Amino acid sequence: MEMPSAAPGTPPVLQLVGICKYFPGVIANEDVSLDVRPGEILALLGENGAGKSTLMNVVTGIYQPDAGEMILDGYGAEFASPQEAIRAGVGMVHQHFKLVPAFTVAENIHLGWSETPRNASPAVLEARTRALSEQFGFPVNPSARVEDLSAGEQQRVEILRVLARRARLLILDEPTAVLTPAEARDLFSALRAFRAGGNAVIIISHKLDEVMEISDRVTILRGGRNVGTWETRECSPRMLAARMVGREIVPQDMRARAEGAAGRGTAPELSLRSVSIRDERGVETLSDVTLDVFGGEILGIAGVAGNGQRELTEVLTGLLSPERGEVLLGGRTAPPGADAFARSGVGHIPQDRLHSALAPSLGTTDNMALREYRAPPIGGSGLFRADAALALAREIAGLAEVRIPDFGAPVRNLSGGNQQRLVARREMRIASRVLVAAYPSRGLDIGAIATMHRYFAELRDKGVAIVLVSEDLEELLNLSDRIGVMFHGRLMATLDAEGADIERIGLLMGGRNVGEDAASGGGVG
Amino acid sequence: MTRFQRFPTAPARLVLAWRAAALVAAALIVGVLLALSGRDVFVLGELVLRSTVGSRFGLEDLALFMTPLVLTGAAVTVTSRIGLWNIGGEGQFYLGAIGAAGVGLYLPGPQIIVLPLMALAAIACGMAWIVVPTLARAYAGVSEIITTLLLNFVAGLLTYWLATGPWRDRVTGALASSGRISDAIPELWGVVHWGFPLSLAIAAGLAAIMTWTGWGYEVRVSGANPGAARYAGMPMRGRVIAVMLLSGALAALAGMFEVAGTVHRLQGGMADNFGYLGIVVAVLARRSCLAVIPAALLMALILDAGIVLQTQQLAATAVLAITGLVLLLIAIGDELAHYRPVAPASSTRSGAAA
Ligand SMILES: Nc1ncnc2c1ncn2[C@@H]1O[C@H](COP(=O)(O)OP(=O)(O)O)[C@@H](O)[C@H]1O
Ligand SMILES: [Mg+2]
Repeated sequence: MEMPSAAPGTPPVLQLVGICKYFPGVIANEDVSLDVRPGEILALLGENGAGKSTLMNVVTGIYQPDAGEMILDGYGAEFASPQEAIRAGVGMVHQHFKLVPAFTVAENIHLGWSETPRNASPAVLEARTRALSEQFGFPVNPSARVEDLSAGEQQRVEILRVLARRARLLILDEPTAVLTPAEARDLFSALRAFRAGGNAVIIISHKLDEVMEISDRVTILRGGRNVGTWETRECSPRMLAARMVGREIVPQDMRARAEGAAGRGTAPELSLRSVSIRDERGVETLSDVTLDVFGGEILGIAGVAGNGQRELTEVLTGLLSPERGEVLLGGRTAPPGADAFARSGVGHIPQDRLHSALAPSLGTTDNMALREYRAPPIGGSGLFRADAALALAREIAGLAEVRIPDFGAPVRNLSGGNQQRLVARREMRIASRVLVAAYPSRGLDIGAIATMHRYFAELRDKGVAIVLVSEDLEELLNLSDRIGVMFHGRLMATLDAEGADIERIGLLMGGRNVGEDAASGGGVG
Repeated sequence: MTRFQRFPTAPARLVLAWRAAALVAAALIVGVLLALSGRDVFVLGELVLRSTVGSRFGLEDLALFMTPLVLTGAAVTVTSRIGLWNIGGEGQFYLGAIGAAGVGLYLPGPQIIVLPLMALAAIACGMAWIVVPTLARAYAGVSEIITTLLLNFVAGLLTYWLATGPWRDRVTGALASSGRISDAIPELWGVVHWGFPLSLAIAAGLAAIMTWTGWGYEVRVSGANPGAARYAGMPMRGRVIAVMLLSGALAALAGMFEVAGTVHRLQGGMADNFGYLGIVVAVLARRSCLAVIPAALLMALILDAGIVLQTQQLAATAVLAITGLVLLLIAIGDELAHYRPVAPASSTRSGAAA
């Protein structure tokens, strides 16, 4: 079992022995043992709520273990804080970034660092940042404000921040969930370079293909316990999936209709007519988009993130009103405002649930009432009936199969996957006509993704129109009846998913339209 | 083995227990320090207790202190629910006092009509004082903290000018106050006027509105995450404007109660920091309108005890230091309330499936 890169007798960079971590009523980690060796990338796999983030928070000193031992380079170690962990060479990049948005990249890199020169001018900090950026091969713009950066750029800053403090063990919690495929490739080559220097990486991911590509060994957690550790080259995605959820996951063709399902509607439920949007800088983020979504069908939207998908979903759900063009709901001009759309039966699973679909500091009850507080039984005559809201929250949590220990506790305490399930269920309840779902499977494990896909198919079979925005072509091809491709704010083409040519979709995603005749292949307009 | 762990939420009963402990600790520390400086701690302690909760006069005094504190505390609390800070309670208090005094001084009529008019004038003045910060916040995103704070100084000077200038007392020739206003809020119990129960009822009513109405729910969501409010199509701007105007009205009402219930004149400096202390009350109340009541009681106790100590030749700065010590220990207690023991053995095994 000796890895080629580690000399015999070299102790693991990090060894965990029998780690336990408990929250009130929840066993997050129970008797977890694992080791990471110099010069390897270890993947940590597990369903949502399996305890991966908690375990890594224990390693980096955010939590203290309730039992068990941590051994660093052969010596017992205890970290009272993340600062102590990073001083010992263990650094982590979190699922939700922890940068200061109003500060520049250089300021964020130097924040709370003992090596930051005293009273340094911005120019000095920026020069130091540039040097670090070159040294570690992570291109960043030192003077940019973090709030203006894309998710991928912010992540590079986070990683650089950790590497600059001379981390030898880098822990990444679902790093690719927010990245475009190209950004993910860049990240992986940087990680390989880091590994080549004799350092170690622990990476948490739900994307099995990535795990197969990047990792040397895989450790799987289930229900807070270590199920086992395997050499990646002896694994297949299918068997990893089975070990993760404890049963075989059978891929299904979701496009097949159930018996007695509502057919595709004849009149479109939701339509855009030559819709354009400009952002505050005057750049056109959505250009002349025309599309129809029919009841009983799933329209997939493919494209690299950042090509107008956010604006498209916001127009489709009434959050943005178009500068030019028209939005039709059931054939008539749509009423203005997100509230009116929701009341007309348009559900919305947005791409950043924590920032827009939930109020993190409020309880599950308040969050689940967000769509239905205006009407009885919760609303009516200006009231807010908390007991009815609690009943609704219990119902949604039950359907979403999320166990909530305390419905009044802040929803931010739930794991990312559980938040996503609650939002999805809440929105599916009100989506009597249309459901717009942006990257709904981000942060979900494969078991949960399969369940969510089944829900979408059921909703479609009931006659609801579904718009599914995703970067994952396989997901789109499995579910959609038609696929539209976005590039630079334009809808390049809409194709029938049946027998669609992946090659061609790939070219369209890159902005190349091969042969105008093919554009008529879809059901545009 | 039991370990203590920090949780993101602090249950109310733990907060209460730790605050009680903080008060006891503060009393002990102050007692030891006073004893070391050669004072008879027990005599002082008895005096403080007797002149606050231990006598009728003490209780009346407490109620009079509490009345404005409940209202200014509520004024800050309602804005904190929507994620804003009204630091201008002091200024709105003055404007309320000015509005009430203007009506009381120059509008003759039966008390049953003049008193409500005084309240309305106070509310209108208080709202007018916060309207510019409100619109700047709602339409231009200008921080309300600075704008409301700066207006306090203007309001303070305006009050001085009125009380010593155009509205000055021409009967007795008092230097820094207006003439006596004959319309007074009826007294209920000794010198305690109806403003006291009314302010408690207002705090309770606000708590009910926040918890039991759709409007309150929208305010809570907007304060917790503006992004979620936008997503749900809530009229954010309207809610911000309404909450800030409400806040101005509450602080102004405190000014009106003070004029018509306690002071019966317009006086320079009469706000006596009640507006700023409202911020402390709101912090103590942890964003709950109902908790404003006990928080105001605690603040009133501290103020009252401070006055008693000053009559015993304790320097005003020492009294201020004691106040600071109490608040510091309470803040520490609040932080400690986030920690709870986690005993591995007591965790249920069935939880592992979650
Ligand atoms: N701060 C916390 N308080 C209470 N429960 C928590 C907290 N953090 C995590 N949990 C619970 O611990 C379990 C493991 O969560 P987590 O480590 O986030 O899972 P993963 O990262 O594998 O999805 C979940 O059931 C989650 O709800
Ligand atoms: Mg996680």
